[in-house]
Amino acid sequence: MSTALAAPSLSLRAISYIVWRLVPGRGPTKMAEFSHTEAGSGLDMLAAVEETPRRDLRRRYFQHALDELKHARMFREQAIALSQGRGRAAAVLDDAEYIGSHGIRGKESLFSSLSEVEFLAFVWVHEKRGAEQFQVYSDLMDDDPAVRAMFAEIARDERFHISYSAAELDRYRTAGEGAAVDRAVRSVWWRRYKQGWLRFSHDFGAMMAGLWLSLLWLVLIGPFSLIARLTEKSATGFIPAGPAQPAAARARELG
Amino acid sequence: MSYILGVSALYHDAAAALIHDGRIVAAASEERFSRIKHDASFPVLATRYCLQKAGIPVEAIDHVVYYEKPLRKFERILVSQVTHFPRTLQSFRRATFNWLTDKLWVRANLSAALGVRPETLLFCDHHLSHAASAFYCANTPNAAILTVDGVGEWATTSLYRGGPGGIELLSELQFPHSIGLVYSAFTAYLGFAVNDGEYKVMGMAPYGEPRFEDAVRKVLRLRDDGSVDVDLRYVSYHYSATDSFTGALEDLLGPARFPGSPFDPQSAEGRRFADIAASIQKVTEDALVGLAKALHRQVSTDTLCLAGGVALNSVANRHILQRGPFQRLFVQPAAGDAGGAIGAALWAHREVLGQPLPADVGLRPDLGAAYPDAAIGELLGDLKVRHEVLDEDQLVEHAATDIAAGRVIGWVQGGFEWGPRALGHRSILANPADPAMKERVNQRIKFRELFRPFAPRSPWRPPAPTSTCPPAASSPSTGC
Repeated sequence: MSTALAAPSLSLRAISYIVWRLVPGRGPTKMAEFSHTEAGSGLDMLAAVEETPRRDLRRRYFQHALDELKHARMFREQAIALSQGRGRAAAVLDDAEYIGSHGIRGKESLFSSLSEVEFLAFVWVHEKRGAEQFQVYSDLMDDDPAVRAMFAEIARDERFHISYSAAELDRYRTAGEGAAVDRAVRSVWWRRYKQGWLRFSHDFGAMMAGLWLSLLWLVLIGPFSLIARLTEKSATGFIPAGPAQPAAARARELG
Repeated sequence: MSYILGVSALYHDAAAALIHDGRIVAAASEERFSRIKHDASFPVLATRYCLQKAGIPVEAIDHVVYYEKPLRKFERILVSQVTHFPRTLQSFRRATFNWLTDKLWVRANLSAALGVRPETLLFCDHHLSHAASAFYCANTPNAAILTVDGVGEWATTSLYRGGPGGIELLSELQFPHSIGLVYSAFTAYLGFAVNDGEYKVMGMAPYGEPRFEDAVRKVLRLRDDGSVDVDLRYVSYHYSATDSFTGALEDLLGPARFPGSPFDPQSAEGRRFADIAASIQKVTEDALVGLAKALHRQVSTDTLCLAGGVALNSVANRHILQRGPFQRLFVQPAAGDAGGAIGAALWAHREVLGQPLPADVGLRPDLGAAYPDAAIGELLGDLKVRHEVLDEDQLVEHAATDIAAGRVIGWVQGGFEWGPRALGHRSILANPADPAMKERVNQRIKFRELFRPFAPRSPWRPPAPTSTCPPAASSPSTGC
């Protein structure tokens, strides 16, 4: 399997330039998101350490997990430094539900949903793709020595991730499982496209829902607020308990 | 023979707890398995562990008790949206989207996620779950019960009487007047994450003096009857999805601290932040002592049971004991939302099914999962970590020698802790006599702020008669 990085596409460069250089505050926000993503990858790798039947791979997976968790910390520190802890980046960093809500780590681990060879293909494809993207971001942030040093360290780690996963896939190929390796790589790419589409659909759906809810807020909440203000009673101080109801009767009620 | 599963989920610190005939079999926070701090998702992994520990299939569960009433909570959120229009657009969109797509369907979602029958589901009030988690675990026939947190359905603070007949609500404070939410607003002001960094404020407070106490009392007003109310001009948690304090608070106290910025208690700015932390801590302590006194006026007993997220403020708990009217204090170790799982299950057993509870329900600090030595040895071998197997005497000798030599020890023993405190089952041990040790552990091992404190650990001995901490206060949440 190749360990060489492909030259970044023009579209990736153009989009990255807009995101990192032209949109104010977007760079730190991306770093905050990367921090969660890397943390999620670290959790996936820790699960692989626990679940793999190939005991010879546990150490590599463990080192990989430690790298990802280190990257999460580095991105977090840079996001804070660049945003001075304000704005969207801070909100993303504070979002304890980010990992869960972005589908990075579900109840079943990534490893348990794939075979070993598929998992290694997943690592190889994603690490290569990540390294290519980070190279673009690093070039765009070249004027900041701290960011450049961070990306350089991450690039070093990713070279290790790419090389060990490529070597393992080559080992499967040498053992006569080349077709399974090719299938696994194709399946990872297909999964990437599918997840990209699902992410787009989710974001689009959320945007449309946001528009409809804004309308609802205006036409429904607005008028009710006038009534509420006319009848508003401030519940301050101790409020005595009302008459007690039998526990068995209210236990099935949601409200 | 009944199995009841208590569940807390969907806000922060999801957990599952399984009881069998009123005795606790297992309890664990979801974050301990998912490794996601404050994991709020349905506690599928924690439930799996509980079932495995009990050796039963999910079909053997007679009842699943959710720790709060979702519709009442949704009602409170909608009323807040209406009352604080037009500032609520963002929070309305976010909250309504979350509720309509997920939280409102908790019955169906919970039964699907855990694989339980929907007809087995019961629902307990949020603060009642907290109260039950403290009272029924305290092994006492009578007690006053105080629950204080951010907010449940409507209640932010509740006063109860606990006795042989069960738990009786006396009175409550309601949203938006919340000690917990004001403390969280100050947590955000001081640059820490809400629902996560509150203990950092408690750790920062000893570096300062409460010279902003009068200013903080303008935000959180303490009344003579022990109740509190909040001046809503300074806070925004009642209408904002993202912010918890307003510019008025910065006008009152100065600019807020940037998250992650260095904290130097020697600098003027660092001292200001430490003084603000000390001030909100002081006002919170006074508020809790006032509540304890108010409760004691209604319930003549010497025992207080405490739960709710604010009960994790161990320094304030010590003040309740020292300055309050109660002689004995029991704090549920998982006083935050996770503890609601145990409380909801015990409440259903005692008050819904009408079954007696055993004298000791079996609350222990190590209710979480344990791992066999063989599995640990195999993992260390695979990771090529140099290790040796020692008997207990050798282990203790080895650990003591290492600690004395200035090495830092990771200590794993038995099941993991129930609640957020490390109590010797998953702990880092180091020599406190070394002045550089605190900085070393904070910076190089835990990657956290340098001011964060550690708990001293010493051999247990009965307290001296003059001790300020009576035996019943030996909980890790009393700061004793």
